[in-house]
Amino acid sequence: MTNNNSGSKNEEEVEVGSYFLEVARGAHKKKEEEMAEDTEDEESPTELNTINSSGGFLVVSTDKISVKYPSVNLHGHDVGVVQANKPAPVKRLVYYFEIYVKDSGAKGQIAIGFTPDNFKMRRQPGWEPHSCGYHGDDGLLYHGQGKGEAFGPTYTANDTVGAGINYASHEFFFTKNGAVVGTVYNDMKGSLFPTIAVHSQNEEVHVNFGQKPFAFDLEDFEKQERMKQQMTVEKISLPLNVSHGIVRSYLLHYGYEETLNSFDMASKSTVPPVHIAQENGFDEQDIMYALNERKTLRQLIKNGEIDAALSKLHDWYPQIVQDDKSATCFLLHCQKFIELVRVGALEEAVKYGRIQLAKFFGLAGFEDFVQDCVALLAYEQPRESSVGYLLEDSQREVVADAVNAMILSLNPNLKDSHGCLQSCLEKLLRQLTACCLERRSLNGDQGEAFYLHRVLNIGKKC
Amino acid sequence: MSLFWIVIRQLAEIEAMATSKKVITKEEWEKKLKDVKIRKEDMNKLVMNFLVTEGYVDAAEKFRLESGTEPDIDLATITDRMAVKKAVQSGNVEDAIEKVNDLNPEILDTNPQLFFHLQQQRLIELIRNGKVEEALEFAQEELAPRGEENQSFLEELEKTVALLAFEDVSNCPVGELLDISQRLKTASEVNAAILTSQSHEKDPKLPSLLKMLIWAQNQLDEKAAYPRINDLSTAKLEDPDV
Repeated sequence: MTNNNSGSKNEEEVEVGSYFLEVARGAHKKKEEEMAEDTEDEESPTELNTINSSGGFLVVSTDKISVKYPSVNLHGHDVGVVQANKPAPVKRLVYYFEIYVKDSGAKGQIAIGFTPDNFKMRRQPGWEPHSCGYHGDDGLLYHGQGKGEAFGPTYTANDTVGAGINYASHEFFFTKNGAVVGTVYNDMKGSLFPTIAVHSQNEEVHVNFGQKPFAFDLEDFEKQERMKQQMTVEKISLPLNVSHGIVRSYLLHYGYEETLNSFDMASKSTVPPVHIAQENGFDEQDIMYALNERKTLRQLIKNGEIDAALSKLHDWYPQIVQDDKSATCFLLHCQKFIELVRVGALEEAVKYGRIQLAKFFGLAGFEDFVQDCVALLAYEQPRESSVGYLLEDSQREVVADAVNAMILSLNPNLKDSHGCLQSCLEKLLRQLTACCLERRSLNGDQGEAFYLHRVLNIGKKC
Repeated sequence: MSLFWIVIRQLAEIEAMATSKKVITKEEWEKKLKDVKIRKEDMNKLVMNFLVTEGYVDAAEKFRLESGTEPDIDLATITDRMAVKKAVQSGNVEDAIEKVNDLNPEILDTNPQLFFHLQQQRLIELIRNGKVEEALEFAQEELAPRGEENQSFLEELEKTVALLAFEDVSNCPVGELLDISQRLKTASEVNAAILTSQSHEKDPKLPSLLKMLIWAQNQLDEKAAYPRINDLSTAKLEDPDV
């Protein structure tokens, strides 16, 4: 194969190699990321804020999850108000908390709702602008002024009342003893603190920020909300057989030759037969390229047979393994090292490391990864160590994908050099994730974003 | 950045200000795309889920070997399910019913609508093959009792029986019942019921995700101008509208 434009080809090779090196390096952050996805790096209220509560008027328990109003109230500005220690987190579908009225005291003037940071802590939530509160004595909803509107039932001792923010529908909602009593539009911007208030002698209220099970079935509520969105999305129509085509191009891209052949054969006999027209845009010439070779190399690497893989590459695509300092060679040599550690051939691993890996120490971009690899030697149980991720199958997968992409980049008919890095499916999923994140960010960061991992596992639960 | 692109960007910003949309350039957007973490194993799972739900047994088996992805359902059950689907698609409804009951007798017991549709299909096939007497007997004995219990069943039964009134069925108002699409509809219903009985989702996830992409882009269009993907089969990024 003649190397016409050696300059730009080298650039492409470097790009492909370093792309997968990034992927490999990113792997050890996986666990942390999974955690971050779950909590979205946001803190949640856990207890009541004793610092800014209206100190003189109420008493907060030492465990900071209940309040009492000890004295006799005199007017509208001696309400005992307390907020949660953190504002309601926004990067989720719904936020919710509950109170249990232990004692309704003299007048049952209890309230639950949301208030902003600088709220006047001697007024009932809802009596001041930019706050809302559902009051137990009259069952009214107060939404920024002293006059409330009819909303729900009153509540008193032994009732469990909840307040929540539904970020999908931009609404506040309140519950009593497990059932929703009403909703109201939420146009309040900025942080909102879960708030409770007591205002007559001997009132006592306990709060639950989720440490104990709720009386209200929050999970079911969230499920219903998600289904509403799902139903809107399902109505959208797709071009005929587009999923079929995307799966096919995925198999072609990564070199899953046997699967592709079975898939094609089965597609001919489905009813109605699936026919992918060339105008659908699948550039088959690009990705049919070297299908058999790519399949073979993937199999070898997936089985940990790195030497065999290197040997085949020398035969078929010497230009890939020509530069021993390239990212692709680096990944292959590291993988060989990892395989030796895996079978416990530590002495051989050390020897190999000295020959092939030592030269990468001190090279920016390679250093931390090679350090992690060598660190495997330090542990009796490397799998359980912080560098244990290197021994997982997913690591072999990265190397296999890197070699696959390198071969694709050698295709003389290659139109789009970026095409060999990511399959069509990957590009679509990235676009989906980015759009959802951007949309949320333009929406005050409220609501759920899209995470493929989460979507795949939701199915597992049912 | 060349003068040309500077002008383009300024035009975009002017346009955006007029409609108060945020402008995101291709460079900025590509950086956001790069920051997204998509795991290969998750994509493999998505593909496996497609193969399994759509019934590509051999392909699923090969994919398991080639990618190391475990199917989320026992592959043996797929073959049985596909046999039922194929029987309905070929018009062998009696055979299909037998197979479904072999697989799990509860499916038809707990799914009166499905059972009715299968019986209806049987009736359609009898009419298609010109077996008028048998068709009438079948309609009266098996389907009429069901129609009495349920208004919508009755309406569908009447529609089906109406086929007999026409010499030239290709032109009659209910002719669509004889179309292959009717068989496919029933086949799809059976397929879904079997999957549900196996506690598996009846639809593959991939098409929903594609729809979600279209939806997400439409939603974002209201607030921003950014590179879109307009052709799902190529995933090509189009420059933001100026």
